[in-house]
Amino acid sequence: MPSEHAALLKDSVADFIERGMDIARVRALRDTPGEYDRAVWRQMADLGWLGISIPEAYGGMGLGLSEAAIVAEGLGRALAPEPYTACAVLAASAIAASDNEALKQDLLPAIAAGERIAALAWQEEPGALDAGHIAARATPFEGGYRISGAKRYVSGAAGADAYVVAARSDAGLVLGVVERDAAGVSLELQAIADGRHFGTLALDDAVLPREKIAATGEAAGAALARALDRASAIASAELYGVMSRALEMSVDYMKTRVQFGKPIGSFQALQHRAVDLYIQQQLASAVLDDSLRALDAEPEAGVRAGIASRLKARCSDAAVRITREAIQIHGAIGFTDEYDAGLYLKRALVLAAWLGNGAQHRRRYASLALKAQA
Amino acid sequence: MAAAAEKDYNALSDDAFRAEVRAFVEARYPEALRFLPRRVRMSEIRGWWNTLSDHGWIAPNWPSVWGGMALDPGKMVIYLEEMERHGVARAADQGITQVGPIIMKYGTDAQKEYFLPRTRTGEIIWAQGYSEPNAGSDLANLQTLAVIDGDDFVINGQKIWTTLAHDSTHIYLLVRTDREAKKQKGISFLLVDATTPGITIRPIRNIAGHDEFCEVFFDNVRVPRDTLVGCMNEGWTVAKALLGFERLNIGSPRRPQYALMRLEMLARAKGLFDDAGFLDRYTAIKLDLEDLASLYGRYVEQVKRGEPLGHDVSSLKIWAMEAWQRLTDLLVETGAEDGVIEGAQDVKGVEIDFLAPFYYARPSTIYGGSSEIQRNILSKYVLELPS
Repeated sequence: MPSEHAALLKDSVADFIERGMDIARVRALRDTPGEYDRAVWRQMADLGWLGISIPEAYGGMGLGLSEAAIVAEGLGRALAPEPYTACAVLAASAIAASDNEALKQDLLPAIAAGERIAALAWQEEPGALDAGHIAARATPFEGGYRISGAKRYVSGAAGADAYVVAARSDAGLVLGVVERDAAGVSLELQAIADGRHFGTLALDDAVLPREKIAATGEAAGAALARALDRASAIASAELYGVMSRALEMSVDYMKTRVQFGKPIGSFQALQHRAVDLYIQQQLASAVLDDSLRALDAEPEAGVRAGIASRLKARCSDAAVRITREAIQIHGAIGFTDEYDAGLYLKRALVLAAWLGNGAQHRRRYASLALKAQA
Repeated sequence: MAAAAEKDYNALSDDAFRAEVRAFVEARYPEALRFLPRRVRMSEIRGWWNTLSDHGWIAPNWPSVWGGMALDPGKMVIYLEEMERHGVARAADQGITQVGPIIMKYGTDAQKEYFLPRTRTGEIIWAQGYSEPNAGSDLANLQTLAVIDGDDFVINGQKIWTTLAHDSTHIYLLVRTDREAKKQKGISFLLVDATTPGITIRPIRNIAGHDEFCEVFFDNVRVPRDTLVGCMNEGWTVAKALLGFERLNIGSPRRPQYALMRLEMLARAKGLFDDAGFLDRYTAIKLDLEDLASLYGRYVEQVKRGEPLGHDVSSLKIWAMEAWQRLTDLLVETGAEDGVIEGAQDVKGVEIDFLAPFYYARPSTIYGGSSEIQRNILSKYVLELPS
């Protein structure tokens, strides 16, 4: 990994968040249907962030997940609602694996430039970690496929211009791009804990034109699996940012809040509690570094899935625990909407659940390990 | 006595060095002593000590002038990893890991000339006389008194939890030499022959049924003044000069591997990997250990870069030891009634001792700074919380 890039990127992320990403902005965007700020999104594009892991041939920087994670961690710290992981990593990775050159030339540079936003609409059942459960039908016709079915838990759906949809034909999985305003496509939004939305996409004979097919059969399955593992890793980096800021807030509060004539941080019961949260954060940090390095070496699919699951399990559980305990450490003020601790808890809850929580990923890790032994 | 190895191991590639250590350990280490779930006694391990010593490999951390291997941090990590990988038991090696380096740093020339070669060959075996009945976690509260009388110190008091003192020939002691001074000040560091009249060593049986630690009584024990290491009343500083690899090694992810292998063998034999409840709990612990390896790896890299370890390394010890205990808890629980039968037994064709690893993991959160003391350290020095 070019550490020069990493160092520059770290500075640039820290600077950007310092200048333009206060929590007041996050609060103002909560529960709005637009969900995030298009102007901020374009600034992120101008900084090159949206194309970090998009190949240079398609307008990106062609860097690895290690670099994308730096951005995600910063966005996590700032509770940015922008769909960086959902669009610039998850949807972009699914498209980037395609051998449809025209589609890639059409979509990837536009994603990198912040001009178009794509969301991956693949999941139908809660807790699903792979394509096995997909029931949406893709029926071939001379112009491509007609797709029918319902896609749920689509992150970044609210502001997306296009959806990368996964459906099943008699010949296997089909992955392709459907425009938001295409006939037979309708979107409903469900409010989620962190003030954003999951989209439910109803597809009723929606046309996936031939030229917008990204992949079919095994290639589609492989592209989807890789995209999900990569996005799990970057969501983990975002979770790491969330937990790190929440821990800082808690420790700072313990130093300043006085009760019984002393800072509450002088009480051993709270000190040891804070230390246990610190240990979780340190573990998450170490696992994140190891995992990103390993994933950037593009291991084979089974190994990759195990790495992604170990990482998502640790970061999900650590972030939820740290943000949950941040409320307790702050006491009643932590339970108010006015105080930021609750925002961190809610973002942690959402990012932990999205793409599979700790328990689900531990189960997948176990079944992968057993398969490898057999 | 072996000729001091002059070979420059640091000039070897990591792979070549690792291969050399692995081949040696596999060829020479006694099979019966692999992955021992308890401390090994000197009578059992003496042969291996001699093998290492004769080969010039007993003191990987020592400079070559004293017959050590003079390994750099990167090679040192490989040496330790290969020992652990093969399940090599840790002998009463405190002379090599602790008091040897202290003598090199603070000792007189006479102390170096006398103690270092004998420590290397195992002619002298050291025990650590730090803890006392009223000085455990609060070690600086130690009360064993050494009073100057002519050319001697006269020592009175009691040490306890002295690991393998009954296998030792010498004890390195922290004693109070100034009763007026506060706590850490007024403590001195002495090197004492364990056969000196007035010293009584009494083993204490632990809950595993082993005599691993002892209490040591000092009743008007007269030793010469040249047993003092460093300056009078500065023993606390001398003792604190240790650390580094000791602190890293204690968090090694390989320590629990015996228990983990046994749990996996047992689960296979009993078909427990088809039991969702067991699988969830097993996987949580397995991942706790995998993630420990990531955390450990980060500190290994730090040591390899030649950077000192900070107070944050306490998190490694806490996590390593507590994860190890959770693992052995699950092992005993999985054994059900078999789990409380003493000694190795056959469970569906698997030879397994449930209680030995369980007992072995117990004191790990107490010795070397209890988990609670480690949390205090992290709170004070890393999170910088007020006291």
